[in-house]
Amino acid sequence: MKKTSKAAEARLGYLLIAPSLALIAAVIVYPLFYNIWLSFNHVSLNPRKPSKFIGFGNYKSLILDGSFWHSIAVTLIYAIITVVGATVIGLYAALLLNQKMKGRRLYRSVILLPYVAPVISLVFIWKYMFNPAYGIVNDVLVDQLHLLSHRIDWLDSASGSLWLVIIFDIWHLFPFTFMMILAKMQSIDESMYEAASIDGATPWRKLWHITLPEIKFVVASLVVLRFIWNFYKFDEIYLLSKQVPVVGVYTYMTAFSTYNYGLASAITVSLFVLVMALVLVIVRKVIKW
Amino acid sequence: MVTTNGFAKRLILYVLVALTLFTAIFPFLMMLSTALKPSAETISLNPTFFPRHITWENFRDVLNPDVFPFWRYFLNSFQISFATALISVVVGTMGAYSFARLDYKGRGVFQKGVLFIYMFSGVLLIVPLYKMVTAAGLYDTKVSLVIVYIVLTMPVTLYMLGNYFRTIPESLEEAALIDGLNRFQVIYKIIVPLSLPAIASVFIYVFMIAWNDYLFASIFITSEDKMTLPIGLSHLFQTKNFVWGRMMAASLLTAVPIVILFSLVEKYFSGGLTEGGVKG
Repeated sequence: MKKTSKAAEARLGYLLIAPSLALIAAVIVYPLFYNIWLSFNHVSLNPRKPSKFIGFGNYKSLILDGSFWHSIAVTLIYAIITVVGATVIGLYAALLLNQKMKGRRLYRSVILLPYVAPVISLVFIWKYMFNPAYGIVNDVLVDQLHLLSHRIDWLDSASGSLWLVIIFDIWHLFPFTFMMILAKMQSIDESMYEAASIDGATPWRKLWHITLPEIKFVVASLVVLRFIWNFYKFDEIYLLSKQVPVVGVYTYMTAFSTYNYGLASAITVSLFVLVMALVLVIVRKVIKW
Repeated sequence: MVTTNGFAKRLILYVLVALTLFTAIFPFLMMLSTALKPSAETISLNPTFFPRHITWENFRDVLNPDVFPFWRYFLNSFQISFATALISVVVGTMGAYSFARLDYKGRGVFQKGVLFIYMFSGVLLIVPLYKMVTAAGLYDTKVSLVIVYIVLTMPVTLYMLGNYFRTIPESLEEAALIDGLNRFQVIYKIIVPLSLPAIASVFIYVFMIAWNDYLFASIFITSEDKMTLPIGLSHLFQTKNFVWGRMMAASLLTAVPIVILFSLVEKYFSGGLTEGGVKG
């Protein structure tokens, strides 16, 4: 009796997970392998024309292509600065709004706005604020506060727009870090702080010896996941400026502006391998699999 | 002395909070003020925060189908996001229950696989998915977007719901099984009603992802009448109908439904749903 019910349970288990797995197989697993195949081909623009097998041709041109390496470098700069920025500010905001004060709940929701609002809405107001001629940012920084000696072309110069997308991303995503860290902070047992207070611990010591060790794991996971997600960031960067060739944008342009699908596949396969290595080495240590 | 010191500390705290909040919402305030400015004022070389003259013209223009098909884009975005969220929740509830409660060989591998996809990005698969969608005759259809969004949000759906289901006491289910309900009935008579807040959160989260996507919508959709808001807006940005005030009015109107939906479930988001988490 017990045995059959266990078998029935397993059958139901497979049955219930089957639709999810089928969808993942069709939209993730199959395309992954198809992508590898495409990367060895010169893929024709016309969907009815067959692709031509060219072996490692795409990879060869990729390695020899300076703009590919440039995009990797830009991506690393972008990903590292944004991850550090969003983590530090998110942690700061979580510590701040974990203090007892009036209206705390409202403040916590308000802080989430940059993360919640659609990227498309945010992108246009940022473009407007950072407009070199009539934007408020240059006006305040240069003409009113004299912090900068000259106006910066935030939208259309290589360094200006890299800073623009970095500041935007930190602003857009620190609320996510804030939300995750705060949730963890709220689950810390209050009695630990009370015991520390009795022992005469200062707020700094409480932060250092109780709060930080408790949230260590969440912060580490956030850093790793955010790095991977930002490494592949596409939409907000592409929409803000065409001058920041991170790998996401570089791949998109290769595929849909120059229509070199085979080369684009080779790029994504290479990046996939890179991130796989990262996942296996680092993620396994941080996120206990 | 102690009270003055306490007062100073409170003051610093509130100043810091005010600064942080200001940083978070300043662009939104700017969006509103620009949407209310007449055209000439938006490109003034001495930008001001407050509008000198307030006008509703930009909102009227954006909602006027002769100027900009805002409602059509809105409807498309709504249809796609709603269908995605609905299917995602139904498929995800089944899968999450399977992960949370049923024991079978391979479950651990499946779970790790799903976690792995969580780290994935759409950019990695744009070329093969584009080729597949074209080959399947789904190019320039809303269905293609719904399918892709469901799968991209699947890990979050499965993890958020699975973690929630595990918090429901198993004894409840055992009692129901003894009373003669089968597992399916347990799911929709006990688990689903008890998990409604979590299911609503997941629904809205998936809705958000679908509503916000630019990447796939820009590749899969070409005809004007099927475009979603992000694509429609970026097109408006490149046309002769482009006016900053209109852009801002349209941006606000695009953000409002999402912000309202999110505020309804916000407490569940930052509350017990940390593990498995959401993606940004």
